[in-house]
Amino acid sequence: MTMSDTIHIQIDRADGSLQRLIGLVERRGFHIDGMSMADEGPSRRIALTVRGRDAARSIDNLGCQIDRLFGVARIGAPAYQSEAA
Amino acid sequence: MSAAAPALKTASAPATVNDTATGARLLVSSLERMGVEVVFGYPGGAIMPIYDALTGTGLKHILVRHEQGAAFAADAYARASGKVGVCMATSGPGATNLITGIANAMMDSVPMVCITGNVPQGVMGTDAFQEIDILGVTLPIVKHSILVRDASEIPAAVEQAFHIAASGRPGPVLIDLPKDVQFATAVAPFGFNLPNETIPLNHDAIAEAERFIRAAERPLIYIGGGVKIAKATEAVRAFAEATGIPAVATLNALGTIATDAPGYLGMLGMHGTRAANEAVQSSDLLIVLGARFDDRATGKLAEFAPHARVVHFDIDASEIGKLRTTHVAVAGELKPGVEALTVRMAAAPLAIDPWVIRCASAAEHHAARYDAPGEGVYAPALLKQLSEAAGDRFVAACDVGQHQMWAAQHCRFSRPEAHITSGGLGAMGFGLPAGLGAKLADPSATVVTIAGDGGFMMNIQELATLKRYGVALKIVLLDNSSLGLVRQWQELFFEENYSEVDLSDNPDFVKVAEAFGIEAFRIDRRDQVEAGLARLLAADGPCLAHVVINPKENVWPLVPPGKSNAEMMEGA
Repeated sequence: MTMSDTIHIQIDRADGSLQRLIGLVERRGFHIDGMSMADEGPSRRIALTVRGRDAARSIDNLGCQIDRLFGVARIGAPAYQSEAA
Repeated sequence: MSAAAPALKTASAPATVNDTATGARLLVSSLERMGVEVVFGYPGGAIMPIYDALTGTGLKHILVRHEQGAAFAADAYARASGKVGVCMATSGPGATNLITGIANAMMDSVPMVCITGNVPQGVMGTDAFQEIDILGVTLPIVKHSILVRDASEIPAAVEQAFHIAASGRPGPVLIDLPKDVQFATAVAPFGFNLPNETIPLNHDAIAEAERFIRAAERPLIYIGGGVKIAKATEAVRAFAEATGIPAVATLNALGTIATDAPGYLGMLGMHGTRAANEAVQSSDLLIVLGARFDDRATGKLAEFAPHARVVHFDIDASEIGKLRTTHVAVAGELKPGVEALTVRMAAAPLAIDPWVIRCASAAEHHAARYDAPGEGVYAPALLKQLSEAAGDRFVAACDVGQHQMWAAQHCRFSRPEAHITSGGLGAMGFGLPAGLGAKLADPSATVVTIAGDGGFMMNIQELATLKRYGVALKIVLLDNSSLGLVRQWQELFFEENYSEVDLSDNPDFVKVAEAFGIEAFRIDRRDQVEAGLARLLAADGPCLAHVVINPKENVWPLVPPGKSNAEMMEGA
């Protein structure tokens, strides 16, 4: 049994955003053991409790994968600087 | 990189608010505003308003004969031009036919915007005619996707889609437009000037990388497709030249270092060169530039480069440490990172002569031979001759299979844009539409589709598109009357049980091409190759050379699946 971790996420209300997040977590080799969601006006806050399917699955790498999504932000993750295009 | 940004973030207020127009017209004007010149597509019921709005605009629409051809052509257009490729299709089957092409762009990090029509919002979710939840279906294979529910949002969605497709690590973005949104009239803002989110250059990590390189006795540069994407080819060449460190490349990085450049050892991995794989296995430091440790490159991961520490440069932080422990991580833009490292390395030369000499002598010792016996066409030799005859303007648009590996092993590439191949997805059927897209992107290039008989048949209908638009694509069809790579594996790993790989009932490809109105001829023997290639390259319009090769010819060397790169097999 691998260890579980909880990831806190802010997510927008665009079509497909929940599927996008949950599909990514499962596709990258994690079980979702728990999930709670709260309304925060224009966005939603989600706590996901996840557990790797095997010991090779890295929660840090999953975090980086989540960071790649648009409309989704991990709470507590580093924000990169923005430059005008 | 994406970070926060639930809603559309802008660096400035929209430049202009105007355009009272239908959604369809807003889409077309938005594409024009993004600088789009060519769109590959196929119409149908749910995208008819957009096709209505296309007429009389500056956009050149290329009507393909299957939506998969549109997606592959847009992908190759992007790879050849460095711009965002655009394809469009109707709802349901039109959209699902795009899927393989979208996945191809995702796997190889190609910037592409795919526009699909959908049924009106009022009937979405009711299993309406030609209704498919294409946004849901494509979620795992897009960088992002947008379902536009209001016509006023179209310019913003288009601008965002192009920005996401092209920035950071590129990829495909889907825009799904219900038909009522295409018909609706709206006033829509545009000109959002979206910000780039960048990872600041980590000078401490670059200094650490220098320390690791100076401490190494057997350093090796491992180049991936990310270098070309980052437009860092010159920076990487300068780094290799300044340090003298030998280099290997992945399939998608061929040409980043010119094939015949000193210190370049060729492709690593399953069908890589012996010199490249031996260098990787002996190296004590891999300097990984825009690569992702794909299994076709690494072989058995646990035994890949067993003595090497790893310095990894990549714009996608999620690739660093994903499969292989990284000792120095440099996340961010490749070009400034590699340039900064080169400046540091120029301060003092490396003392790695014994290693450089060892690598060079292995490359010389294991150089490919082209003196195969017999009178039949030897495909590796033909491909080498083809690339040499075509010169620096050569662009190979490869399909998938044995011919693809022979092209990778034996063609001369002087620039990374010269090699367009379906690397990550390995999608048969890519070659012909990819050649179409590449030739339209770079009309002055000598674009040659290199295909096998299996993959060529998967999108053979695009011969009609070549003819319609007079696209002077050259096609080398290497016909071994079988699914050669599968046949090779059955020979080697399935006790010669040749299951469903015989294609000896192929049609006469010369007659097929001629039926499409395309010049074609056949090459059966080695003594016909030189004149045949000359005729092919001199043809004014599209031209196909049907090359008959030995069905028993295999691709060598080969690392058996699941084995270490140290265990290379050679042919008899």
